[in-house]
Amino acid sequence: MSKRTLDGNAIGGLLLELFGADLTAAPCACDGCGAREEVARLDVYADCPGVVVRCRHCGDVLITIVRGRTRTYVDLRGTRGLEL
Amino acid sequence: MRTLELEAAGWSEHRAGQHLDVRLTAEDGYQAQRSYSIASAPGEPPAITVERLEDGEVSPYLVDEVRDGDAFEVRGPIGGYFVWDADEAGPVLLVGGGSGIVPLMAMARHRVRAGSEAPMRLLYSSRTWNDVIYRDELESLDAVEVVHTLTRERPPGWNGYGRRIDDDLLREVAFAPTDGARVYVCGSTRFVDAAADGLVRLGYDPSSVRTERFGATG
Repeated sequence: MSKRTLDGNAIGGLLLELFGADLTAAPCACDGCGAREEVARLDVYADCPGVVVRCRHCGDVLITIVRGRTRTYVDLRGTRGLEL
Repeated sequence: MRTLELEAAGWSEHRAGQHLDVRLTAEDGYQAQRSYSIASAPGEPPAITVERLEDGEVSPYLVDEVRDGDAFEVRGPIGGYFVWDADEAGPVLLVGGGSGIVPLMAMARHRVRAGSEAPMRLLYSSRTWNDVIYRDELESLDAVEVVHTLTRERPPGWNGYGRRIDDDLLREVAFAPTDGARVYVCGSTRFVDAAADGLVRLGYDPSSVRTERFGATG
């Protein structure tokens, strides 16, 4: 595991830019283990190409965000849902 | 280490504990972006305290070069999780390591400015006495009980804590888990995990321990 693990607080600005809302306090459910945590409490790896958000309990990937030249690709397959 | 007070057009009032993103753009279009916790209380202009990191891309500019009147891009305020509002009456425990003090300082200042009666205690881990950020202000802060621990070097005659935060130290300093305190822990990943896990072992509900991990990305 990378030593540069951050948490979901660190991507608050990015999520605000993409979704127009502050998602750090939004509960997010892991599709792998079902654990439900606020986005701020998820593990974030930001020193890879793009951003990878993992469940702090089972380590499954919940969200990936990759910025392309003209658009941004957000993969939410690992989440069962976000509550806003 | 330098504190910068920002004049941000269109800034909406921040909450204590929030951060902002600073984006610098070079002449060739290269961009570098970093997050900084807001140190000032809500209602005051946003201020950030920046630690200069060798080899950093953004912090050397903010610490050494930026002058009054210079402009750069700021996004924020950001964050709805690691925040404390003065109308919450229960006790508050702040646990900070190194520059993790910054958002906690905003909470302490918020408590003073808003005239809150919430009991507030700060446990602050620094390497040496000289590394203590906001030292003079913390010394004069009557509204907040401040407990220091110095992990690397202690001044002569030091009678405070002199070790990294461990379960015994937390047991001595923290409110009893039954007091219903809200807890805010900020620092490096290792610091945050040690403090938060220790508090949960003491009996704190994990959901009452709010955490923010700092990455040293300069």
